[in-house]
Amino acid sequence: MNIQLQHVEKSFGDQLAIDNIDFTIPSGEICCLLGPSGSGKTTLIRLMIGALAPDKGSVHIGETKMPNMDMLQQIGFMPQNDGLYEDLSAEANLAFFGSIYKLGKKALQDRITEVLNLVDLANDRHKLVRNFSGGMKKRLSLAIAILHKPDVLFLDEPTVGIDPILRRQIWDQFQVIRREGTTIIVSTHVMDEVLECDRAALVYNGRLIAYDHVQDLLDQTENGRVEELFLIAGKEEVGDHA
Amino acid sequence: MRNLAKRVIFQTLNDKRSVALILIAPLLILTLVYFLLGDSDYVPTVVLDDNAPEQLVDAFKDETLEVEQATFDDPKAYIEDNEHVDAVFEMNQEGTTITLREPSTKSSKAVGEIQDALTTLNPAAEIDTSFVYGEEGQSTFDSFGFVFLSLFSFFFVFILSAMALVKERSGGTLERLLMTPIKRGQVILGYTLGYGTFAVVQSIFIVLYSIYVLGLSSLGNMAWVMLTMLLMAGTAVLFGATISVFARSELQVVQMIPFTIIPQVFFSGLIPLDLIPYGLGNLSYVMPIYYGATAIKEVMIYGSGFSGIWMYLLGLILYAGVLYLLNMRALEKYRGH
Repeated sequence: MNIQLQHVEKSFGDQLAIDNIDFTIPSGEICCLLGPSGSGKTTLIRLMIGALAPDKGSVHIGETKMPNMDMLQQIGFMPQNDGLYEDLSAEANLAFFGSIYKLGKKALQDRITEVLNLVDLANDRHKLVRNFSGGMKKRLSLAIAILHKPDVLFLDEPTVGIDPILRRQIWDQFQVIRREGTTIIVSTHVMDEVLECDRAALVYNGRLIAYDHVQDLLDQTENGRVEELFLIAGKEEVGDHA
Repeated sequence: MRNLAKRVIFQTLNDKRSVALILIAPLLILTLVYFLLGDSDYVPTVVLDDNAPEQLVDAFKDETLEVEQATFDDPKAYIEDNEHVDAVFEMNQEGTTITLREPSTKSSKAVGEIQDALTTLNPAAEIDTSFVYGEEGQSTFDSFGFVFLSLFSFFFVFILSAMALVKERSGGTLERLLMTPIKRGQVILGYTLGYGTFAVVQSIFIVLYSIYVLGLSSLGNMAWVMLTMLLMAGTAVLFGATISVFARSELQVVQMIPFTIIPQVFFSGLIPLDLIPYGLGNLSYVMPIYYGATAIKEVMIYGSGFSGIWMYLLGLILYAGVLYLLNMRALEKYRGH
């Protein structure tokens, strides 16, 4: 399913958080939302999921205008701060979220085993989450997000605070999920991660400063580094205010 | 909704401190209150003049008093010099004087016993006191037991639900939950049902313990008390959930207790509402504990049945209804629709 944002604007009080953003993420691709902290990435994700309604413009997932309650059945979401019940086991966390999606009992059990294998937590399924390491929590959080085989998967800063080896493993898992046809939207402020994506949307001060295939974006820079695009945008902004 | 309630129950059971908070803490504190407010075996010491008539001394000795005789010029100085003495009694041409150490329950007990002694010397002055509800000499614990039943059924469930929901908000589980197709009403009712289950067990524990271990007396049927405690606990879950909206951390929930819970303690029946000046007693109508405590008092002290408490139960239900709507509103911010 593709995602279309048309002239989306969102303010919180006097603060314009998202300023006229307009782009389409094609179905089955990984799209990176790249930008420094506070640039509006999380707000953009919340607008796409339907956790926020835009003040102006519209967001569609496939043909459905967001926010839409039924569409939540087809959306997977991994929040920035894990969102796990620490006093439950990994399996109980999955079973609880699975029960909301009304997967049958047998189908849910099979699927829990499948996703636990995918994120390499099969041997820890009965452990309480409060005894998990940071990396294990991230992987369990991902397992919950993909439990109901969503068509669209939103990952809000999934690798923040994760060591490079685990980060590599997590990105490998994203690629597996993508090959199953899921559209993935990942927000990150780690510039290197953009190389893992098909497309990247560069967000700066609530504005979309660039959106293209990753390679095409890198071709626009002198040294092939994404940071340059932000530096250019920063200079333009200073120029605008001068 | 049932799955959410089940999840809340298992999650709480895995947290031993929460289980202790809801099941053991009320019994522990109730026991302490029982000893603090129960019948005291304190015997006050009263000093009479060496020249006091023998008849008077004997009358004093017949009461629950330690009686001593001494010679003194200044009774105040005598009490100051003798730490074990509670009162000095003097009777002469100028009248009768009792000098006491300080206004306290010990002094009140000394005065009560002295009055009893004087009454035996002059039976015509005896005043017969009787009560429509309760009996003379019943312990403070019996008189105020209802306050503690209502306070505990509210306070511990409130703490548990407020803390748990703040954790859910800050830990991202509530956000994640609301990004699933679950309905907002199901979320609130699921939590109420989950923590409500602990409230049922807690109410049974508290009521059985109060009656069979601490010997708390009740004129009415304790089943009505339990029903009231359950409604209070349900309201407490929703009250905790509402408070958690305004707190970013568990610490902030604790910081809000002086604003939310402590005022309710004073309006729970501990102080008769019509004694509170400037009509401030009317503030009780906005406090959920008032409805629960009054209903429990009606049953335990006045022996009322359902007909005597239905309006207070209705008050609690309406209160819970308002809190439910407030929580529905608060969850709106997680969904753009």
